[in-house]
Amino acid sequence: MATIELRNIWHSYEGLQEDDTKTKYVLENINITYKDGAAVALLGPSGCGKTTLLEIISGLLIPTKGQVLFDGVDVTNLSARQRHIAQVFQFPVVYESMSVYGNIAFPLKNDGLDPGKINKRVLEVADIMEITNLLNFSVTKLTSADKQRVSLARGIVRPDTAAVLLDEPLTVIDPKAQWGLRRKLKQIQKELNFTMIYVTHDQHEALTFAEEVTIMQAGHINQNASPVELHENPETTFVGYFIGSPGMNIFDVNVSKDGIVAFQGTSLKISEEIAKQLYEIEDSLQLGIRPEYITTHVSTKDNCISGKVKLVDDNGAYQIITTIFDEINIKSRLAESVEVKVGDTVWLEFNQDQIKFFKEGQRISFNK
Amino acid sequence: MGIRVENLTKIHQGVKILDNVNLVVNEGDFSVLLAPTGSGKTTLLRIIAGIEKPTSGKIYYDEVDVTKLSVQDRNIAMVYQQFVNYPSFTVYENIASPLRVSKTKYTEAEIDEKVRENAKLLGISHILDHLPEEISGGQQQRTALARALAKGTKYVFLDEPLANLDYKLREELRGELKLIFREKGGAIIYATPEPIDAMGMASHVGFIHEGKIMQYGPVKDVYQNPQFLEVGEYFSNPTMNILEGKKVEEDGRVYIQVTKQFKIDVTHVSNKLKNEKYYLGTHAHDISMTKDDASFVEIDGLVELSEAVGSDTEIHIEHGGKNIIALVQDVVSYEIEEPIKIFVNPRRFYIFEKESHKLCTKL
Repeated sequence: MATIELRNIWHSYEGLQEDDTKTKYVLENINITYKDGAAVALLGPSGCGKTTLLEIISGLLIPTKGQVLFDGVDVTNLSARQRHIAQVFQFPVVYESMSVYGNIAFPLKNDGLDPGKINKRVLEVADIMEITNLLNFSVTKLTSADKQRVSLARGIVRPDTAAVLLDEPLTVIDPKAQWGLRRKLKQIQKELNFTMIYVTHDQHEALTFAEEVTIMQAGHINQNASPVELHENPETTFVGYFIGSPGMNIFDVNVSKDGIVAFQGTSLKISEEIAKQLYEIEDSLQLGIRPEYITTHVSTKDNCISGKVKLVDDNGAYQIITTIFDEINIKSRLAESVEVKVGDTVWLEFNQDQIKFFKEGQRISFNK
Repeated sequence: MGIRVENLTKIHQGVKILDNVNLVVNEGDFSVLLAPTGSGKTTLLRIIAGIEKPTSGKIYYDEVDVTKLSVQDRNIAMVYQQFVNYPSFTVYENIASPLRVSKTKYTEAEIDEKVRENAKLLGISHILDHLPEEISGGQQQRTALARALAKGTKYVFLDEPLANLDYKLREELRGELKLIFREKGGAIIYATPEPIDAMGMASHVGFIHEGKIMQYGPVKDVYQNPQFLEVGEYFSNPTMNILEGKKVEEDGRVYIQVTKQFKIDVTHVSNKLKNEKYYLGTHAHDISMTKDDASFVEIDGLVELSEAVGSDTEIHIEHGGKNIIALVQDVVSYEIEEPIKIFVNPRRFYIFEKESHKLCTKL
């Protein structure tokens, strides 16, 4: 498996315009390195450029500008086959005229490997994918989940596979069978130390599979980090909103030198040390805090903001309370056992260590 | 006042899709019909709306029998899973279209007012002059919803309207729909396979199983008091842990034992337990990673997979050949095959009959 490096990648489907400022780019200046054995997810809303980026990595697309390197070697102009890339798509790709065995053996037969070696390798891969009992079946008889296992097995059967790229591989799989495949993907990645890159718009799949998640938005990388880091320290307001359910509360605030954070006719106090640093930035600031870091009280308490409850959502495990402050809503968590009704007044206490500040969508870091 | 379904049966090509369904949805209710795909919930919704005819049984709107009335004569609105918008009409004209063909005649000024009011409600005022192909899937479904609401009908029926939207849009729209329908009055019936839709929006939920409504009631009541194993298992996110156990007696105490380690003291309800085998049910969020109380039962297992779900983590654990799911209210990470200790709260269990799957008692 290989280390994959993307250097200054720009891509336009219409190609370069004479005046480059007029070129419509779907990817803009992507720079990132995925280490050998990395479990990566490319995550973002529809149209963010994640599939384009995957196709550039696999060799289906040549980027308008920039370089793709595998283990330091420039592969920008090589095909997927030449790059030794295994691909798994939304719809399982299987040869319907062949048995499961024939499907998995196919790439090795093409390579002219001797039958003994082919047999050994097919059995090995089938064992990994837990489809040994299906080897003699016709693929047409299989469920879509098993077909996806066959297509993955065929993808990794060549021992020199550089990376496995997966494009929304669970979309057409029955929800009940998805769990087994999610586990299998994670397991083979770990045990075989594969470099695997997984494209999805579903944060659940991305955060479950990946050790590092690349969050994309409008052709840019917002952040590349572990699931825990994305949750704790989102680099941008978009990541704050997109990761987590519900996402981060984000709203405009004014900060005074002595630590008063004012917004929507109310205010709360933060440490003066941080306030001083913020005060120097002056410009329009946004505060971000996740619902799980706000404690909801039903009686008055110090350094809380109070408002009227607009919505109460109960997911069985806990409640999500939406409270109105003039023109904004703030969501917070509340234990099941406490009863709160729409129209009640609640007091929200922000966990000071978990308050983030953003300027023009980018998180501000502080000198401690 | 409201909608009443009486002894409704639907047979299609010799298959009984709905089997003697009875249902009352009162005015003011937001009612979710919950079931996995292929359980008849869409058929029931379509029959209530008048799009399909029942084989037998009756539908009443405000105690008036409407069974034989066509959908056009019922004054209802319906929203479908597929975004149904006229491709050559702007968003404005799409929302206006039902008002233009309505039996009630509206002036242009009235139409304009209704279009703008509902566009505002659904946050699409800024795209009124766009064509459907120029807007996103989420905006298309908002347009379809605005059009359904613009008619101002007392009853609105929705068939998986969020199914084709991505995760974040679903989350946003769920909150908005709850607010919109709370203000609207009348009644809503909403068919979906997603338990979270019922929890997030509805006042009432009905679980459909094998063509029958297995349980119907206020959302919280159905969640906390599932009368059947199937209801508890499905109307839960993640799915409720269901474990088979047998009744044992030790030192004068009665237990239901799942494995040697996993046994729950049921002495205080033992008079209700006449059989030998039962199913134990417990919600994932009632399983703890810490021994919060001395009564908690410690269980050793191996992590099968930990899954990040929103701001929580679902941990799948293997214990004695059984799969147990625990919900941790944080984003955490565990390795596959990692040993783990979990703690179950013996006061948070349901006991279901082995044969009938009926709730025997709650602990």
